[in-house]
Order: sequence, then structure tokens, then C-alpha cells
Amino acid sequence: MTVLLIAAGALVALGAAIATGARGAPAASLGALACLVFEPFVAEPLPELPVALFRIVAGVLAAFLLLVAGRRAGDESASPLGLPATLAAAAAALVAGLGATAVGLPAFGPSVAVAAGLACLAVALPPVIRARDAFRLGIALVVLVNAGLLLRSGLAGTQSALEVLVGGATLVALAAAVVTLAGMAATATGDLAIPGDAIERRRPPA
Amino acid sequence: MNLLPFLAVATAGAVLATALRGRRRSGTLVGFAGVMAALVALVVAAPGEPLPLGGGVVSMTAYARVLLGVGLAGGLLVLGVSRLATWEAPAPAALLVAVAGLAVALGVGGAVPGLLAAGATSVLAAAVALAHPATPLRVRALALEARGATVAMTVGVLAVSLAPEAIGGLAVQPQVAGLAAVAAGLALGQRFGAIPFHARVARLSDAAPASALPTLFALIPAGWAVVLLGWAPDTLGPVAPVIGWDGTLLVIVGLATLVLGTLAALIQDDLLRVVAYTVVLDAGVVLLGFSSLDPTGREAIRAWLVPFVASRAALVGWVIAFRAAFGTARLSEVRGWLRRAPALGVGLAAIAVATVGWPGALVWEARLAALQAATDGPALLVATVAALGTAVAVARILGKGFGRPEPRVAAAAGELARVPAGLRAAVRALRSPGGRRVATLRAGSHEARPLLEMNRTPLRALLVVLLAGLALMTAGGAFGIHDAASGPDLPVATPAAPTPDLPSVVAPAESPELRGEPGATLRPAP
Repeated sequence: MTVLLIAAGALVALGAAIATGARGAPAASLGALACLVFEPFVAEPLPELPVALFRIVAGVLAAFLLLVAGRRAGDESASPLGLPATLAAAAAALVAGLGATAVGLPAFGPSVAVAAGLACLAVALPPVIRARDAFRLGIALVVLVNAGLLLRSGLAGTQSALEVLVGGATLVALAAAVVTLAGMAATATGDLAIPGDAIERRRPPA
Repeated sequence: MNLLPFLAVATAGAVLATALRGRRRSGTLVGFAGVMAALVALVVAAPGEPLPLGGGVVSMTAYARVLLGVGLAGGLLVLGVSRLATWEAPAPAALLVAVAGLAVALGVGGAVPGLLAAGATSVLAAAVALAHPATPLRVRALALEARGATVAMTVGVLAVSLAPEAIGGLAVQPQVAGLAAVAAGLALGQRFGAIPFHARVARLSDAAPASALPTLFALIPAGWAVVLLGWAPDTLGPVAPVIGWDGTLLVIVGLATLVLGTLAALIQDDLLRVVAYTVVLDAGVVLLGFSSLDPTGREAIRAWLVPFVASRAALVGWVIAFRAAFGTARLSEVRGWLRRAPALGVGLAAIAVATVGWPGALVWEARLAALQAATDGPALLVATVAALGTAVAVARILGKGFGRPEPRVAAAAGELARVPAGLRAAVRALRSPGGRRVATLRAGSHEARPLLEMNRTPLRALLVVLLAGLALMTAGGAFGIHDAASGPDLPVATPAAPTPDLPSVVAPAESPELRGEPGATLRPAP
């Protein structure tokens, strides 16, 4: 396990935390970009260059689509936890993941991949369960899929090139569906709220 | 010919149909042409011919060809019924997205890429089906579908990662195998709408266009089942006897889904909801077949899924025709409907027979084999009886057809074909000696549209009978379903580069390590 591998895992976790915890849509999309673009580097051995490039391009495209989906997102739809708490959750999950393989979790891949995957999972699950906003839900779903891919690398070893290709295409397809969902929500409700549930606004500071 | 032409045709058709969905005439033409072209491309695709991709191959298996072919044929007939009632523009594009995505999911070889492709297909097909027009109900349904498909995909990927195919045949610790089996089973149950995940199916039946429901209810979940069944019996099967309570949990969920799904189907008033809950109850059959972790159960479920897809397409087509004929889909408002729509009655009875099957028929034997692989004793009895729930639900609908017709039913158009007066006059003129044939034919051609308008009801009934015929053929095992279902899957794609220090383990299924005995450790491969 090299320093670069740990750095890549930490960047992925940081990106996931910003994607799900930041207030503004541009910052959240930037976090998603970091989370998706650094994901192929959390593997040992690294994938071949064309495969990694495809995955990076797919990550950039997915992040761009998320940025498009978040054009109408307001600050009031941000994570109720806030960025500091989300960062702390990601850091805790990252450390826990690094230690998990040391205490007997069966894994054929690098423990950093498990750690980064757990960090993505920890920050993505709350909005997947609670989000009442199309953009926040969509970005959490993308981070969740990324968590699955990272955990796959960590538990079962480096993904085959075919898996990387299909995984990249899946992320782009999911981001495209998020754009559709956000557009529908904007047409149907005037903002990005998912009807049937009121947006839970953050309580203003006392 | 490999998979590429089919993928190209289906994708192009989906894009064009989506782009033209706002235009009734051209959208109709492109939608039907796309589905028919995809069906032709599927028929000419040679099973097994590889398409190199990313160091691996994508290929059309014989089974995928049959499943997708039946899905396309049933979907095409449902689109025909729907077009004769109204026009639901997103349905052809959703069907084409589904078949293109599932062709990749079933042909890519390996559970993880298959799950990823199936998950992306679920979300995209739902987005296409629900996007236009945007209503609050549809936004909520799409949000739920995207959430459910993504979570199921992630859970499925994690389950497969816990017991990767690369060590298939080698040891998986029983605890890990149990966890993986439960996780994958629940992901599969969520996609099929098994109880307690049935809200998905009910929500979709309310929000999605009816003609897209066979795709969303039956075809895409069937793809999920095939992908997961390709992994579980081979990888987890050897340790199935020592898994413990985890396997029993899936059996309990499967049985509960069968029983409660039947009850739910019997208390619904809306016919689309009835169809939705028949899908829910059949999710129990799939879960039970999966929980057996046995190649016999896998082959039985694979064979059973093809008639399942055909019969659900037929049921949805029947409901669309029924709703168009009587202006309602509420069972409480259509007493005596059989008198006005006997052809629909014949079609529904045939669909019921196709759903349940008869002793010796593929659908009957496959369902029984799947249930026997997972249960025995009283549980098998309960499962066998509850699995006939669809027939009971259909019998309830047929029972409503007897008796004195309600005013709404009595006022509905009948199923007898009618000919416009202008066309009758043209035919008479053609028969008379010395008539002006060209002018008469030209005048008669103007009667084509009135002829279609006057005969929408009998044409819909005809298409429903064709759908029922397709369902009966698949129930009987036509199209080589049995051989295709028992054929081999694609080989699993191997990683591009070997993982160093792979701590591979070998232990026979009955070893003390597998049983988790204290002090026993897994030994490295020689």
C-alpha cells in the first residue's frame, strides 16, 4: 500500500463528503468530480491507461451532468448534517475501513479501496434515505454507485476492463437519469422538490 | 452476426422515438418501426457470436435471444392495443432502452457488469417512460425507482463482491455466503416488488403509461433475475447446506410474498393494480427459486421467466383494451362485461391458462421445480397453492363479467366488425358490370380511416387474442425455451491484470473450515 494509493483514497472520500455535504450545487458537483475521477486510482495494480482514461472521462461527464441537474438547486436543499459533520463522517469511515481488513474482513483488493468505499457509503446513505430534493438525491445515488465499485475493488480485487467500462457507462446513465428527474421536478413543482414530501429546510442559526 | 446490429438498431430507435414523442403520427411510425426493426435484428443475431469489448466479449446467448424476443413481440402487440385506444408516446422508447440494456446485461458475462448494466437499464427505462408529461406523481415514482434500482444494484454488487465468481467452486465461508445470499435475494426481491418492497410496483402502476408496464414490471426484473441466478448457484451453491438461517429467511420472504401478494391481488378494484399484485405474488416464485441456490432451481426459474414476461404483457394489453372498451378499469363498475366483450373474455381465460399452465406444460413444471428446489412438506403445499393466485385473481375478473350489465357496460361498443356505408357502396359498385373501377377504388380508399375508427374495439380484441396466443405458446414451451434455459451462460470476464498475493483459498464444501468449526482455517491454494 503506497502513499499515493492512500492519497487517492483520501481524495475520493473528501470528494464524496463535499458532494453530499456542500451547500451549493457547483461545489457539490466539484466534489462529485473528485470522487469519480480519482476512483480508478484506488486500485492495486492500477488499471491499464486506456481503461483508466475511459473511467476518468465517464466521471467528468457524469459530474457535468450533475452540474446541469443542479442549476436550479437552492441552498435550502443542502444536507441537514452540514459539511463539517459530513467530512467527519467520511474521515471516520475511511479510518474504520483502513482498519477493517486488518481485523479479518476477507478482501482480495487493497484496504484503501474498502476504506474509500466505506467513506462514500457513509456519506451517501443518509441523503439516499432522506433526500427530498431531486439534485441531492441524484448526487447521493451517484456517490453510492461509486461506493459499490470501490468496495468491489477492495473486496474482490482489481476490476476487469469490461467491468470498468460498464461501471463508467452506468455512472453516466445514472447522471443522465438525474438530469431527467431534476427537469421533471422543475416542471412539475417549480423547484427541485420531490412531490409528496416537503423540503426539510435547515433551521436558521440562533 | 453478433450483437452490434441489434444494439445499434435498438439504441437508434430509442433515441428517435424519444425525440419524436411529441409528434403523434411520426412518433407512432418511428416507435413501431424501431420495435419491429429491433425484433428483426434480434432474430438474425447469431447466438454465441462474440463482440469484443474491453478485453472481454459481449455476446447474445440463446436464452437472452428468446427472453428479449418474447419481450419485444409482447411489447409490440401491447403498443398496438395501446395505439388503438390512445397514444402513450414514451412506451416504445422505454421498451427499446430496456432490450438494448438487457442485451448487454445478459451478454456481458459476469454478475457485476451484468448488475451494473441491469441497474442502468432500470433507471434509464423508467426515466424515459415517466419523463413526459412531468406530473408530481411521476416525479415521485421516478425518484422511488431511481432510488430502488441504485440501492439494489449497489447491494447486489456488494453481495457478489463478498463471494466473487473468480473463486467460484472454491471455498466461501458459510457466514459470508449467507450474507451474500440474503443481500442478493433482497436486491432481487426489491426489483420484482416482493413484499415488503411492493410499493414500487403499486406506484408504477399508478404513474407510468400502461403500455410501458410490461417492460417495467416484467422484462427488466426478469433480466435482474437471470443475472443473479447466473452467479448464486455456482458460487454459493457448494456451501448452501451449511448456510443456516440466512437461506431460511429468503424462503420465508418468498412464501410471505406468495400468500400476501395473492390476497392483495384479490382485494384490488383497479385492474392495473390487480396485474401489479400478480407480479408481486410471482416475485415469491422467483425468490424461492433463487433461495434454493441450486442449478435445478436456476434452470426452472430461467425457463419460467419467459412465459412470465409474455403473460404479464398479455394481461396489461388486456387491461388497456378493457379500459378503452368500457371507459373504466374499476372492477366494481363493469358487472356483466362478458356480454359486451366475449372476445376479451376468451382472451382473459386463455391468459389465465397461460399463467398457470397445465401438467406437462413448461410453465407448470418449471414453477413446480423451482418451488420444490426451495421447499418441502407443508411449505411446498402452501407455495404451490399460493402460486396459483394469478388464476384466482383472473377468475374474479371473469366472475364479474356475468350477471346483468351495468348501464356503462350496456352502452359500450360491441366487438362485431362494422363496415362504413361508403365502403359497402364502393364494393357494390365494383361488383356491378360496367362500373368505373378506378374511380370507385379511389372513392373506397377514402373509407379506410372510417373503417379503422369504427373497428377499434374488435381490432383491440384481436390483438389481445394474439397476445394470449403468445402467452399460451410460451407456456407450452415454444421457441425452444427449455433448451435455451438449460444452456450455458457466458464465461466470466477475468481481471485485466492479476491481483498480487491473491489469498485464494481452497476447501471442499464439506470441510471443517466451511462449517466454521473453531480452530479450522482456510488453507492457501497449492
